[in-house]
Amino acid sequence: MKSIAITVFIILIVAVMGLYLISFQVRQTESALVTTFGKPTREITRPGWYFKRPAPIQRVHKFDSRMMVFEADLGETTTKGAVPIIVNTYVVWKIAEPLRFFNAVGTIKDAKSKLYGYISDTQNRTIGRHAFDEFVNSDPSKIRFPKIEEEMLADIQPAVRDAYGIEIKTVGIKQLKISADVSKNVFERMKAERNRRTEATIAQGNAEATKIKTDTDSKTRILLAAAEARAKAIRGQGDAKAAEYYKMLEEEPKLAIFLRNIEALEEMLKERATIVIPADSEPFKLLKGMPDFGASVQTREEAASK
Amino acid sequence: MAQQNYNSDDQIRARSAGGRVHDDHDAAAKSLSEALRVSFVILKIIMIVLVVAFLASGFRTVGSDEQALVLRFGKIRGVGEERVLGPGLHWVFPYPVEEIIRIPVAKKVNLAINSFWYRETMRDVLGESPKERAPVTETLDPVTDGYSITRSQMDSGDVTSTSGSDYNIIHCKWQVTYKIDDPELFFRNTYVDLEKIPAGQNYADVITQNVTGLLEDIAGNAVVTALVNYTIDDVMFEQVARVTEHVRKLLQEKLDKIESGIKVVSVQMTDKTWPRQVDAAFQAAIKASQDSQKAISQARTYAEKTLNEAAGPVAEKLFTALQEQNISQEQRDLLWSELAGAAQKRIDEARAYQTEVVETAKANADYLRQILPEYRKRPELVVKQIYWDAIQRILNNADEKFIIQPTEHGKNVQIRVLANRDPKIKPKSEKEK
Repeated sequence: MKSIAITVFIILIVAVMGLYLISFQVRQTESALVTTFGKPTREITRPGWYFKRPAPIQRVHKFDSRMMVFEADLGETTTKGAVPIIVNTYVVWKIAEPLRFFNAVGTIKDAKSKLYGYISDTQNRTIGRHAFDEFVNSDPSKIRFPKIEEEMLADIQPAVRDAYGIEIKTVGIKQLKISADVSKNVFERMKAERNRRTEATIAQGNAEATKIKTDTDSKTRILLAAAEARAKAIRGQGDAKAAEYYKMLEEEPKLAIFLRNIEALEEMLKERATIVIPADSEPFKLLKGMPDFGASVQTREEAASK
Repeated sequence: MAQQNYNSDDQIRARSAGGRVHDDHDAAAKSLSEALRVSFVILKIIMIVLVVAFLASGFRTVGSDEQALVLRFGKIRGVGEERVLGPGLHWVFPYPVEEIIRIPVAKKVNLAINSFWYRETMRDVLGESPKERAPVTETLDPVTDGYSITRSQMDSGDVTSTSGSDYNIIHCKWQVTYKIDDPELFFRNTYVDLEKIPAGQNYADVITQNVTGLLEDIAGNAVVTALVNYTIDDVMFEQVARVTEHVRKLLQEKLDKIESGIKVVSVQMTDKTWPRQVDAAFQAAIKASQDSQKAISQARTYAEKTLNEAAGPVAEKLFTALQEQNISQEQRDLLWSELAGAAQKRIDEARAYQTEVVETAKANADYLRQILPEYRKRPELVVKQIYWDAIQRILNNADEKFIIQPTEHGKNVQIRVLANRDPKIKPKSEKEK
């Protein structure tokens, strides 16, 4: 009983040790290549548990299959139409075919130095096919930036895959710059543009303010004129009503005119009046002496005869 | 493994001891056999404990902000939703059969993108007064100074621009907040250097430093690609939210395209400025725009005040009503009734005039009607009476009166009156007041 248990246990341990020698795991993040006496014989790109011959016969080389990012240095290149620009391009890449990678490259460090040349070639070639106004344009619909990146990807992808078993997942420009000299010109232009806008802003503001003011003035005039018209109508109504009353005066026009004149005279001499009167006029005549009542009768007769 | 070997050695020794017990039957041998049996039991217990401990080492906790993947022989275990384990206690078969990878999915990480900012020395950053800052260079060095390019205004009307390829330069700083959205995609595709994990840290601890380079590159690309579609004014003032959203969308698209499993939670533009080299022109433009706003608002105030003084609050409405053809008289009258200000004053005056003129006419008519019967009887006397009453009032009212004796000859008499009367002599009516 005891000895059976022990035996099983020993067998188990030996088996585990044996398995270590003749099998290996490929993780989800890896791919592997099995070499027999140094010669690649099996390529494994799926994760799992695999068997092999023990160590001296077959060896396992593992490669990371995850994406890595690599950027070339900032480099000056020229667009179509010979405009110099400075770009910084990066690629996201991964080892897609371990066999090809193993044969052509070997290590990740070597891969990077090989990618470097490809990236700058692709970059120069693709950008050289496009004019600068496809990168930046005052009309956004003419900007071809994403298309240029796609072209770069299409340019580099098959070449690198065939040569090194590397898959380029994406290519991108992470810096788009211009030379120092050109930046000076850009600043001059920006200043000029800004100054022009400043002037336009001032002119527009003044124009609008003036317009508001003149609009207001004309509105005011129109409103006051309308009010004046209305006032005139009201005054007219008053005059019309008054005229109805004056109609009654028509019965005795002479008296009415007299009354009106008297009223006017009184009104006119109401204030600050200096009056010069001959002393022989009524009633100042009284100052010169008693009236002659007999003579007065005569006077009346004279008046009547006239 | 070493421990297991050690155990099996013990077992071998125990077994050979058991063999000797079989040969010998004396008491000493019996007690020896007893002792060996006890030690064998102890060994068995130790073995069981070890096996249990081995299996128990498969218990792993997944934190509340984590999700986990289980690799069985290196391959992600399970199908569908089972592939990802949520927070809690889980048992996996111990290494080397299974392996648990915990990924912090809820952890949001901020990443600053400063590659679009001009070069600042430590003195620039720390120096408090502008004097301590390095002088502004006339140009931007493409190697050390960062910036982004924005397009020109479309309708700028610039005579020097012919190709439409004019552009502006802007400096900006960004912050990207991201998290791991899909643990499986992230684990499979995004490179995290497992060989350089420092002692005492695990996979989750080194994720941030490993993905920073990738994210910096892709975020930089998103900023460059997005910003060429906007003008400097869009980025600086007018469309900040749209620009930010554009960058976020581009960044997410690119991360999705490479199946990184990373989700961009937010993108913010933390700082932005026009190049220092053109600062004066931009400041002037801002001032001009403020000034012109001020002028307009002053004009509006003037308009409001003037119209209010002219016709009161109803002015605008009334004006519109006057211009409109199809507004009924009632509506117009209603507006007129709300009138105020100078216009209302004129109408009030007209109303007063109306009242006065009508009342006067009425009074005159009444007066005439009253004296008419008497006048018809004795016209001369009535007229004289009225006449002299009036003359009396007039002469009483006069400030100065001169009574002059006419000469006998009746002609060529000169009367000299000093006409420049003392202006202090006030009208009688005012004196009475």
